[in-house]
Amino acid sequence: MTEALHQLALGFLHLLTPANAASLVVGLVVGMLVAVLPGLTLVMGVVLALPFTYGMGVTSSIILLTAMYLSGTYGGAFTSILFRIPGEPLDVPLLWDGYPMARQGQPAQALGWTLLAAFWGGLITCVSAVVLAVPFAQFALRFDSPEYFAVVLLGLSGVVALGGASMANALISLCVGLLLATVGVDDTYGVDRFTFHVPILKDGVEYLTVMVGAYGLGEVLTRMEQGFASPAIETGRKVETRLPRWREIWPLRPTIGRSSLIGILCGIVPGAGATVGSFVAYGIEGQYGKRRAELGSGIPEGIVAPQVASTATVGGHMVPLLALGIPGSGATAVILGAFLLHGVQPGPQIFQTEAAMVYTIFASMFAAVFGMCLLGYFAIKPLIRVLQLPEAVTSAFVALFCFVGAYSARNSLTDLWMIVIFGVVGFLFERLRFPIAPMVLGCILGSIAETSFMTSMIAYQNDWTIFFTRPISGTVMVLTALALLYPAFRYVRRTMRSARTTATPA
Amino acid sequence: MLPKLRSVAPYAALFAAAVYLYRDAGAFAAAGRPGQLGPDVWPRAVLVLLMVVCGLAIVRRALFVAADNASPAASESDADSNATAQRYHGCLAGGIALTIAYVLALDWLGFFVSTVLYLALFMLVGRYRRARVIAAASVIGSLAFVFVFMKIVYVSLPLGRGPFKALSVWILAMLGVH
Repeated sequence: MTEALHQLALGFLHLLTPANAASLVVGLVVGMLVAVLPGLTLVMGVVLALPFTYGMGVTSSIILLTAMYLSGTYGGAFTSILFRIPGEPLDVPLLWDGYPMARQGQPAQALGWTLLAAFWGGLITCVSAVVLAVPFAQFALRFDSPEYFAVVLLGLSGVVALGGASMANALISLCVGLLLATVGVDDTYGVDRFTFHVPILKDGVEYLTVMVGAYGLGEVLTRMEQGFASPAIETGRKVETRLPRWREIWPLRPTIGRSSLIGILCGIVPGAGATVGSFVAYGIEGQYGKRRAELGSGIPEGIVAPQVASTATVGGHMVPLLALGIPGSGATAVILGAFLLHGVQPGPQIFQTEAAMVYTIFASMFAAVFGMCLLGYFAIKPLIRVLQLPEAVTSAFVALFCFVGAYSARNSLTDLWMIVIFGVVGFLFERLRFPIAPMVLGCILGSIAETSFMTSMIAYQNDWTIFFTRPISGTVMVLTALALLYPAFRYVRRTMRSARTTATPA
Repeated sequence: MLPKLRSVAPYAALFAAAVYLYRDAGAFAAAGRPGQLGPDVWPRAVLVLLMVVCGLAIVRRALFVAADNASPAASESDADSNATAQRYHGCLAGGIALTIAYVLALDWLGFFVSTVLYLALFMLVGRYRRARVIAAASVIGSLAFVFVFMKIVYVSLPLGRGPFKALSVWILAMLGVH
């Protein structure tokens, strides 16, 4: 632990270099802007920022993207509370109590509670990342290919099971992503797979084009079909933040504690993430909170619970990303992409080989928490003016960012065709209610899954039971099975509950 | 009957594609070594999973969709009815056509000219009608992109051909990009 604190202190020193400090500030501002704009999602913003990191150092790149991710979990709260427009899905629970509080003439108090919750959630997530990452990585050093396969499978199952959409659709999306990862020349045998004699497919499908096309252009096309018809927003009203007093905060200890734990756990479990954390924390507050009967009427507990949980997921997500190289969400998939683009493979060894970089990233997360709160307190009024920009104009530039971003990776016009194809695929997925995240994660993790599966089969003479008989991989496989059975359990429970409600006379 | 067919169609199309790819995987199955799993095993396993899920989804939607409206897997028709916003199919078709035209034009017109046109037409197709804002945003935006990506990020954006190349080079010189 002393070593970790020493490294963290050095990380703060490294953070003071102009490139790292500038990345932090830019990441915070852009992340908040992205979260404020209803047409742009947080993942989409992180994806669009990725091309700008090509020319940067790896540490500055990750600082930029992580700061965007962290401040993005907070920025959407403003539009949720003030205008009843959630900038992100994770901000939806915030409007259930935040908006009523604002309507009761207390918008400054509502924003104050959000700031406090984001600050606490941010601090606790940074501490958890520093405390958990090294033990997690040391544990991961015991992993062999069966364990890696099992963990990747757990990550993919988590995305399918906890993604919130139909499980069949999520599984289909995942299969599409896994298949995309098989296109090109096979690593083991050197044989062409699904290339159909098209030269550009020999290099495989760049997951960057899948991400940028599906998340970026796909979303633009979806908004275009809706006619860019977001309602006009009057942003001239008074936007102020009033921080709660200590005696107001003290009774909320159980809410803050519960939500922090939920947030960290949802971060570590692959596939859960900020949106799930936010909804679960609100739901738990509704079941166990002292003032659960008043939830939804504009009470602080309804604001604090989802905001603490959603911000607290960020550090949790960074733990498996850094220690195992496995992203658990769309945003961390992009951050993994940034690592790989700079030739750094996250995994258990990274804490030995790149300790300075890892702890500078952790230090930047601490600084980002303070920065986003200062930004939220002092600069939100000018930031929120971006809501006055016409959606057709911002969307045109988002589409352009997608193209330039994809082109910058290899200076290849053929990548732009990939963007168009995956833009249309993303639009169709959105339209037909297939979630995009499993496809993207399948595309990124597919090759790791296949390689670890094939290596295990070669090493253990095609004995597939090896995944179940080794202690760690067996345990992880059981967790995978539970993750996949969870939606079925949820469905049965809901059906039984609705049957009971129907049977009970009014 | 029609809504049911419409909700089944995507799964049927994916099922057919999976069957086709499964057969295609036979072409590289021969590359495998004796006693080892071949390069077709992993993609075929994924394709079998895809076929099973699509098959189950088709059966479920074809036979039980009415009884299953409350399930999380709402059909596309449900999604349609839930959507409050009006749909602008013309805008969408125009946007896709414009995007394809943009990628085609980049090599000929160069980045600056094609981007100015793309941004301006995109805003128009997106039902925005303030001509001065469109003109200013598309020209200034394109210049900003050229400057940032060619001068700062060092990305070699397409210059175009013939007179368009000359125009691109002139603009780059004006922006101090050499």
